[in-house]
Amino acid sequence: MSDAWEPKILAFLCNWCSYAGADLAGTSRIQYPPNVRVIRVPCSGRVNPIFIVEALRQGADGVLVSGCHPGDCHYLAGNYYARRRFALLQRYLEYLGVEPGRVQFSWVSASEGARFAEVVTQVTESVRALGPSTKLNINALKEQV
Amino acid sequence: MNALPDNVKQAIAGWLQSGEIELFIGYEASSLPLQATPAFVRKAEDLDRLIWDATCENNLVSFLKQFRGKKVGLMVKGCDARALVGLMREGQLVRDNLRIVGVCCLGVVDAKRVAAAAGQAVEELDGRVTGTDVLTADQHLALSSVMHATCAACRHHNPEIYDILIGEPVADADDDPFDDIRAVEALGSAERWARFEHELSKCNLCFACRNVCPFCYCNTCFADKTMPRWFTATAEPKDIQFYQIIRTFHLAGRCVGCNACSRACPQGVDLRTMLDKLRLDVWELYQDDAGVNPQGHPPLTTYREDDDNSFVL
Ligand code: SF4
Ligand code: SF4
Ligand code: SF4
Repeated sequence: MSDAWEPKILAFLCNWCSYAGADLAGTSRIQYPPNVRVIRVPCSGRVNPIFIVEALRQGADGVLVSGCHPGDCHYLAGNYYARRRFALLQRYLEYLGVEPGRVQFSWVSASEGARFAEVVTQVTESVRALGPSTKLNINALKEQV
Repeated sequence: MNALPDNVKQAIAGWLQSGEIELFIGYEASSLPLQATPAFVRKAEDLDRLIWDATCENNLVSFLKQFRGKKVGLMVKGCDARALVGLMREGQLVRDNLRIVGVCCLGVVDAKRVAAAAGQAVEELDGRVTGTDVLTADQHLALSSVMHATCAACRHHNPEIYDILIGEPVADADDDPFDDIRAVEALGSAERWARFEHELSKCNLCFACRNVCPFCYCNTCFADKTMPRWFTATAEPKDIQFYQIIRTFHLAGRCVGCNACSRACPQGVDLRTMLDKLRLDVWELYQDDAGVNPQGHPPLTTYREDDDNSFVL
């Protein structure tokens, strides 16, 4: 299994910055690992913590949420609100025993295609090092029994 | 078992008669030993039923979600009063609509601990409370030895808001209220997961913790929602963990640590060690305590440009 296993990473990207950054990485033909599945959201502030926990439950090995840099939110402050939520959620999940690194956050602007590729590479490699996610993962359990 | 002091009864009677409130929520003796039950009084002549002593464990603020917009009076312990304050800052309560009898509280009895000390089932106990003594058929126990663990950790014995007060203010310990959370933090990740998994393996998804929480006032809880359906109540541990993580996280920045949820849990699930982690982080990151300022803003409804950014890649 370890040979074939590739981490599955779910990325919530805000429409105005990080999604456009991912687009730019693509049109600039910058290589990055194909492990991310992207969900476009209007704003990082739209990402309900339930989405993140549900992603882990459904079998994502890692979750990335990325939005506009602080100060650059298309809706002025969505990412500031999101930042508080994510800071607490990340600490909370780690406290409960979810491995640090499963859930990560970044700010990537529309002009940062190269940075997007770097973030995705970094997240993919750290999640790969953690191995498959089993905690909270409803499918992991079924495979074991 | 103590009837309410005369001056308190008179004050409540006055509120009821003048129409300042239409309902007073207090405590009365129940058929269970060492556990008072909530009492709903609408007429002054019924006030003689009401009691206050260490068997009054319920957080009566939990009932206010059933009386939205109504003028209600109620009794609150120190921890319960913090829930009132938290609800005020969430815009759920108007101070003018409330008449509050505050009680300075030394802790409330955990009937299960008394039963364990007496070697009996809770229902069989022949127990009563006088002041800070708990008496069973053949034992004399100090309240401090049989109160809820959450009361031992209490730093809010005295209500922050009230119209009339029962008892003398009690000194609050000024040590670190989160030392047990820091002890859990110091464990390894795998150990913490094992702890969490084990604790939640007791949960049978009865939802008492949600139903009793003063802050779980949503008309439709995520756990009941069908469009979309986030959650399916099964015996599968991962479903239970999902519910618990989301329910507790919905309390982030809102939980006042009244511990009504842990006390209500029939399975003895330790919810406090989850919720207090959130309270600790909210304090460390945003210097906010939900039960203090009725005019404040819950920390997740506001932000500062210089909020912690260190966790972002
Ligand atoms: S768990 Fe969340 S959605 Fe359900 S009642 Fe509580 S706050 Fe509302
Ligand atoms: S989550 Fe529990 S401790 Fe926190 S406010 Fe609700 S009932 Fe009280
Ligand atoms: S009260 Fe206890 S058993 Fe019931 S849902 Fe909450 S934690 Fe689970």
